[in-house]
Amino acid sequence: MKKPLLAIGISLALSVPLAAQAGPKEDFQEVYSKAQSTHQDAGTFQWTVTGDRLKAAKSAAGNGEYEKAIAMANEALKLAEESVAQRKQQKEVWRQVAIGN
Amino acid sequence: MLKAKVILVALGAALAVPQALAGATPEEDRKETVEYFKQMFPDVPFEEFVNGQYALNDDRRKQWESMQDFPPYEFAVAEGQEMFETPFANGKTYASCFENGGIGIRQNYPYFDTEKNEVITLELAINRCRESNGEEPLKWKKGAIASISAYMASTSQGKPINIKVPDDPDALAAYQDGKEFYYSRRGQLNFSCASCHVQNPGKWIRADFLSPTLGQPSNFPVHRSKWGELGTLHRRFAGCNNNVRADPLPAQSEEYRNLEYFLTYMSNGLPVVGPATRP
Repeated sequence: MKKPLLAIGISLALSVPLAAQAGPKEDFQEVYSKAQSTHQDAGTFQWTVTGDRLKAAKSAAGNGEYEKAIAMANEALKLAEESVAQRKQQKEVWRQVAIGN
Repeated sequence: MLKAKVILVALGAALAVPQALAGATPEEDRKETVEYFKQMFPDVPFEEFVNGQYALNDDRRKQWESMQDFPPYEFAVAEGQEMFETPFANGKTYASCFENGGIGIRQNYPYFDTEKNEVITLELAINRCRESNGEEPLKWKKGAIASISAYMASTSQGKPINIKVPDDPDALAAYQDGKEFYYSRRGQLNFSCASCHVQNPGKWIRADFLSPTLGQPSNFPVHRSKWGELGTLHRRFAGCNNNVRADPLPAQSEEYRNLEYFLTYMSNGLPVVGPATRP
């Protein structure tokens, strides 16, 4: 009666550390998808350099160079965050410099 | 106590509203813009602003004047005329789609179509004309569309630009959207259109001499030495965005059409001089 429960408990206990130890591929996918979605959030304020880093990251991952891919994706994420900040800031300040306000 | 708060809020709102509306009409914007550039360049006659950098730099002007003997866009204009006059497969021509047969109308573009609720540029009208006559649309930035547009502009040379913003909230919103685009900083280099063409015209940025806002759209399509061919205004918008490391938007996107609407309105009263040459 208690055996099935025990088996489930053991398999759960074994799977938790496995899930926690995501490999470089999973790490890359996580940061890449965050960078990509932040880049999208920039809307019409997207930066060309962000797209370049995303492309480079994907290409490196395709070649199995995950360390490089993660570094590129992190750079892309940082640039994308700056472009989103620019978008938000410009929404507030563009009138201050406009002729006619 | 509550009454005092209400009075304070009402006072604040009463003071804030006129400020928010100040300079809000397109015509007020245009007049202020003209005045701004007249003060910045007091020796430049108003109509000279259409010549951009050639109105501000003698060396550039001399080079330009020597090019005018044999302008590099002449063949493209002739090709544009031929395409304009050649019937579509259904026997109709471009003339059937435009007021006055498409001759001498460049100065009225872009306009706001209150039925479709959008800005119609000349290039958009050219491609819609093709599609309504069963033809494939042309590519937006160069080639045939630039040649046809250049021919149409050539039939309007000297006519004053006459862009209207009708009394329509959507038209005003399109104008404001274009204005916001013009003044918003973009790209990793954090430049707006205005950073160069309002705040720094007459100065060099690397090897480029910056032209003023006034008169910019009067020249298009332009033959740029850098391109070695004619290109449309939206090609130039994309190039400028790219220069500041901002992702360019598609030619004839709503954003670029609204930008063209605002920018061309600022040049109302200046003559059409396109096609023209630029470095």
